[in-house]
Amino acid sequence: MISRRLFTGLIGSVAMMPGLAFGADMPAPFDNPGAVKIALVRYLSTGDFFQAYLSGVEKQAAAIGVDLRVLDSRQDAALQSDMVDQAIALGVDGIIIQHGLTESMKDAAQRAVDAGIKVVAFDVNVDNAAIPQVEQSDRDLARLALEQALKDNGTSFTAGYVYVPGIAPLDRRDETWQKVKADNPGINQVAEFGTLDNPIANSVANQARSALSANPDITVMFAPYDEFAKGVKIAVDEAEMSGKVSIYSADVSTSDIAAMREDGSAWKATAATNPAVVGEVSVRTLAMLLAGEDPGHNVIVPPTLITQQMLNDLDITNMEDLSAKVPAFAHADVSVPGWMPLPQR
Amino acid sequence: MDNRTSLVDLAIRYGFLVLMAALIVFFGIMAEGFLTPFSAVFILQSVAITGILALGVTATLVVGGFDLSIGAVATSALMLSSYVMVVWEMSALSAVLICLAMGAFVGLINGLLVVKMRVPDLLATLGMMFLLVGAQRIPTEGRSISTGMSLPDGSVANGKFSEAFLALGRHRIDFIAPNLVPLSVIFLIAIAIGVWVFLETTRHGRLMYAIGSNQQAASLAGANVNRYKIVAYMISGVLASVGGILLAARLGRGDVASGNNLLLDSVAAALIGFAVLGASKPNAFGTAIGALFVGILLQGLTMMNAPYYTQDFVKGAVLVIALVFTFALSGRGGRARG
Amino acid sequence: MNDPAIRLAGLRKAFGRNQVLRGIDLTIPAGRVTVLMGANGAGKSTLVKILCGVHGADAGTVTLDGRPFAPASPSAALRAGVVTVHQNINDGVVPDLDVASNLLLDTLADGSGTFLNRRRMRERAREIAAAVGLEIDVTRQVADLSLADRQLVAIARAMAHDPRLMILDEPTSSLSAVEAERLFDLIESLRDRGVAILYISHRMSDIRRLADRIVSMRDGQIAGVFEEAPLDYSGSVRAMLGHEMTEADITIPAPGRTVLEVSDLVLRPGAAPFSLVARENEVIAITGLVGSGKSDLAGALFGLAPPLSGQMVLDGRPHRPTDARAAIAAGVYMCPKDRLITAVVADFDITRNITIPFLPRHSRASFLSRGSERRTAERMIGEMGVICQTPMDGILTLSGGNQQKVMVARWMAEASRLLILDEPFQGVDIQARRDIGHKIRATAGTRATIVFVAELDEALEIADRILVMSEHSIVGEHRNENIDVSAIMAEVVEAAPARAAGLQHG
Repeated sequence: MISRRLFTGLIGSVAMMPGLAFGADMPAPFDNPGAVKIALVRYLSTGDFFQAYLSGVEKQAAAIGVDLRVLDSRQDAALQSDMVDQAIALGVDGIIIQHGLTESMKDAAQRAVDAGIKVVAFDVNVDNAAIPQVEQSDRDLARLALEQALKDNGTSFTAGYVYVPGIAPLDRRDETWQKVKADNPGINQVAEFGTLDNPIANSVANQARSALSANPDITVMFAPYDEFAKGVKIAVDEAEMSGKVSIYSADVSTSDIAAMREDGSAWKATAATNPAVVGEVSVRTLAMLLAGEDPGHNVIVPPTLITQQMLNDLDITNMEDLSAKVPAFAHADVSVPGWMPLPQR
Repeated sequence: MDNRTSLVDLAIRYGFLVLMAALIVFFGIMAEGFLTPFSAVFILQSVAITGILALGVTATLVVGGFDLSIGAVATSALMLSSYVMVVWEMSALSAVLICLAMGAFVGLINGLLVVKMRVPDLLATLGMMFLLVGAQRIPTEGRSISTGMSLPDGSVANGKFSEAFLALGRHRIDFIAPNLVPLSVIFLIAIAIGVWVFLETTRHGRLMYAIGSNQQAASLAGANVNRYKIVAYMISGVLASVGGILLAARLGRGDVASGNNLLLDSVAAALIGFAVLGASKPNAFGTAIGALFVGILLQGLTMMNAPYYTQDFVKGAVLVIALVFTFALSGRGGRARG
Repeated sequence: MNDPAIRLAGLRKAFGRNQVLRGIDLTIPAGRVTVLMGANGAGKSTLVKILCGVHGADAGTVTLDGRPFAPASPSAALRAGVVTVHQNINDGVVPDLDVASNLLLDTLADGSGTFLNRRRMRERAREIAAAVGLEIDVTRQVADLSLADRQLVAIARAMAHDPRLMILDEPTSSLSAVEAERLFDLIESLRDRGVAILYISHRMSDIRRLADRIVSMRDGQIAGVFEEAPLDYSGSVRAMLGHEMTEADITIPAPGRTVLEVSDLVLRPGAAPFSLVARENEVIAITGLVGSGKSDLAGALFGLAPPLSGQMVLDGRPHRPTDARAAIAAGVYMCPKDRLITAVVADFDITRNITIPFLPRHSRASFLSRGSERRTAERMIGEMGVICQTPMDGILTLSGGNQQKVMVARWMAEASRLLILDEPFQGVDIQARRDIGHKIRATAGTRATIVFVAELDEALEIADRILVMSEHSIVGEHRNENIDVSAIMAEVVEAAPARAAGLQHG
C-alpha cells in the first residue's frame, strides 16, 4: 500500500494538482482547488514508519487538493524551528509539525499561530491550546498487546521486558506495562534490558540471549517496539525456546509480518497504528481547522491488534495485504466531517 | 632489573588476562548459568560480528592507518546482500560474492585516497563512511528491505533470503552439545587465526608492522609501502563486509543503519587488544581477546539485570584501563619521543 | 658598542649519557655578527636551544647585559630580548594566517583580551614591517609569500621585540642569492643598531660576507675563536672539522672490477656535471659540508630522486632505479643517515630490524622461518660485535653505537654490488666507529663501497679514496696515502664559487 500509493500520491500532489472534480462540495477555503498551501515540518524522516507517514500526508493532501510543502530537518531541533519560520515566510495557510522537541518547537509553533496560521502537531507536545495534538495512542498500543498476552497466558506468568527509558513513546508504553503489572500480581518480571545501539535488533538479540540464559523460565516477553521484538525473536530462536516463549510487541512492518508468520514463531501479537493513516488524520485535522471547524484538542488515532493467527487466517504477507484485509488498519474514522474527501483505495 | 620492575612487567603482560579470569569467576558466582557451554557460545556469538570488524581495524592499525568506514561497510553489506536476494532474486552465493567484492572495492578506494590522494586516513574513511551511509539508502528510498516490500517503482519484491544464506548466521554445529556452536563463531575463530597467522608469521605481516612503526625506514628497506597500505584497507573492507553478511543472515532482512555502534565497539576491541600480553601494538590475538572481554562483561551485566546505560559506562571504563595498561605502564609514551 | 651582550660560562648539557655541551665559555658582543660554525652533532643546536629557552642548561651560567639569564620557556627568552629565526622557515611563521597576524603572533599568544581589532592590528603590523624596511601587504596570506619574504616576516616579527640578541639558524639555506642579499642588508642594519647577532651557517660565501668574528664548535666545545682581521676562514673550518690524525693505517688494496660508473651527472640546476667510478675491493669516502649535495648523490644512486641528467651504469647495465626497491633489486644497498628517523623500526627487536629488507630469503611461500632469521641475526651480531643480551632485545634498549651496528648489519647480511653508507658514524661512540669502519673495510672485497661523511677524520679512517663534494658537484679526488689534509680542506671550503645570482632552489 504504502509506496505504490506514495508514488501516485507524489504525482497527484506535484504534477496534476489540484486534480479532480472536488471543490464545489467543500467549504471555504477548499472550494478553490489549489488555493490552500500547507507545510509538513518534520523532525524524524528516515525509516519505514516515517516514509509511510509521509505517504499518508501526501495522499490526503492530494485528495483535498491542497498544495503541500515538505520541510525535513533530519533530527536537527534548531533547524526544525527555523523551518517553521520558513514556512511562515512562504505564506502557508497551515502547518503540520511532525515530531520534535517541546523546548525547541513551543515558541516556533506560537509564532505560527500568531501569524494566523493553523497548526497541528503530531507526536510532539507544543503546549499550546490553539494547536490540536494528533497522537497515536501509545497507551492503547501497549494495552491491546498486553490484553492479548493476558488472554493467551493467563494472569500469572514470568516475564521479560525490553525498555529504554527517556524515549517518549516508550515511556508512555511503559506506563501501561507498570499498570498491568500492578493489576496482575501474578506477573513476575525477572529481566529488563534494552538498547538503541544500531542495528537495534542485533544488539537487543545479544542482550536477550543473556537474559534468557539467566532466566530460562521466562514465558512472556513484552517488547513494545518492533525492533526490540525482532531482536528478542532472534534470541528466542537461537536459544531454541520458541515453543516456550511468547513475544508481544507494538508497531508493524512487512518484515515484521514475515517474522510473525514463520513456522512456530514466538511473536504472537503486535498492536499497531498505521502510520499512513496517522498521516491522513494529521492532514484532515488541519483541514478542519482551516475550514473553521473544531477537531478537538486531542486527536487520537486508535491502534489495531494484529495477531499471528489473524495474519495466518487471512494469509497476509505485507502491509498492502494488511490494509486491504483488515479495514480497521486501513482507515481511522477520526477527523472525518461529511465534506471531507478521503484518499482513494 | 629489581623486583619491582619485574612485577610491573608481569602486570603489563598478564594483568589483562588475570582481570578477565577474575571477571569470569565473579560472574560465575553472581549470575546463575554463566559458567555453561551455552553461555560461552552466547558470548562468542554476540562478539562474532564486532570481533570480525575489529580484526579488520587491526589490519589498518598495524600499518599506522585507521578505518572509520567499517561500520558503514558492514551495514552496506547488510543492505546489499538483502537487495541482491530480495530484489534481484539471486542466490546466496552471489549475494556473498557481491558483498565481498563491495568490501574489497571500498577498501581499495579508501587505500587509494590515503596513499595516492594523500588524504589523511581519518578524513578519507570518515568521508567514505558518510558516503556509504547515504548510498545504502538510495535504492530503497531509506526503507528496510524484506520480502514483500514495495519498490520505488511500485512493484513488489518477491525474492527471499535463501536458506543457505540464513544458515550463515543461524546454523549451528555439534560441539560438546548438539547444535551448540553457530557458524558465525566458527567464522570469527577462523578469521582471527587467519589474521593472526598473516600478521605474525608471514613476511607481508612483518612488513606491515614495519610500515606502522617507521614508514620511512620500511620504504628505504625496500618495502612497497603504498601497496601494503592499500592491502590493509582492503582486508579491513572485506572483513567488514563479512561482518555485514553475518549480520544480514542473523537479522533476515536489510535494515538501514549507520553502523556507528559496530564501528565504536570494534575499535574499542582492537584498542583493548593493545593491552593483552603487553603487546603495546595492534595484534590479532589481543583484538580477539578484547572483543571477548567486552562480550563477557556485557553478558554478565545483562544476566545481572544491569540497565543498558551501565553497559556503555563499563565498556568505556575497560577501554580506559586498557589504554592505561598500554601507554602508561609499559612506557609506550617514550616511544613517540624516540 | 662592544659591551658583551651575552656571556656564557662553563655551560654544560647532557641528554642521558650523551654529553652534548662540555663546558662552553663564550661572549657574544653587541653590534657585531658572530658566526657559529660546527659539524652535525657539534652542539650548535643545543646551544641555541638553551639560549632561546627550549632547554635548560645542566651547569654553567649565562648573563645577558650583566644580569643572569636562564629563560624557562621560549616566550621568557623572547621577553628578555633573545629572538631566534629558525632554520626551518615555517617554524617562524604560521602559513595559514595573514602577514599582520604573523607579525603580531607573540602579542596574540601573550596578550590579554579575546577579540581582535583587525584595523588596529594592521596598523601595528605596518609599523613593525616598516621598522625593518619590509615592504609588504600585511593582509596577504603568508602561505602565498616566497620563502624569502616569509623569512623577512619572521625576522620582522622578531624585531618587534626590540631584541638584544638575534640568533639566525642557517637562514639562507632556502634562499636565492638575491634574496639572501636582502637578508644580509637587513642583518647589517640590525648590527648597526647595536643588536648582537649570532649567525649559524656552513656557507662560506655567507660567512665571508657577514662575519665580524667566527666561533668554531666541535664535540660540544669551543674549538676556536677567530676575530682578528683578516679572518682566518680556513683555520676556522679546520677547527670545526678537526683532524687529530688518528692512526689511520689504511693499506690501499688493488681495486677490482669496475662496478659503478657515473658520468656527467647533474644533481641540481646550475650545478657542475661530474663523473666518478667505484670498483670492487675499494672504499670511497665522499666528504663535504652540510648541503654540499652528498645526500642528493646518495639518493640518486638509491633511487630516491633521479638526477637531472647524466648516466649511471652498474656492472655494464644502465642504472636508473625508480625507488628503493628497484635499487635493492639491482644490488645497490643504502644505510641511510639519521637512523632513528630513516632506519630504526622502534617496535622491532634486533633480529627483525636486521632481516627487514631480505625477508623473502627467510621465508618459504611467504611464511617466515624464525630459525633462519635468528641464525642470520646471530651471525651478524657476532660479526659486527653488537653488544646485547639476546637477538630478541628491543632495538631501543641498545646504545646509539650498537643501534648503528645493527643498521649496518641489516645491509651487510646479504651480498651487494654497491653499498652506500650515509653518515654511518653519526651519533656513534669511538669504539663502535672503529668496529663499523673495520667491518666495512674487511668485507669490501666483493663489492664497491661509498661512504658519505661530513667529518674529514672519518673519511681518513675508512677510505681508500676521498672525493670532495661542494655545490652539488665533485671538486677534488685524493688517494688516502700521504694525504695533504690542507688541500682537502681548501677544496671543502674554498672551491665554493659564489652562487649563481638569482638561482632559485628549495
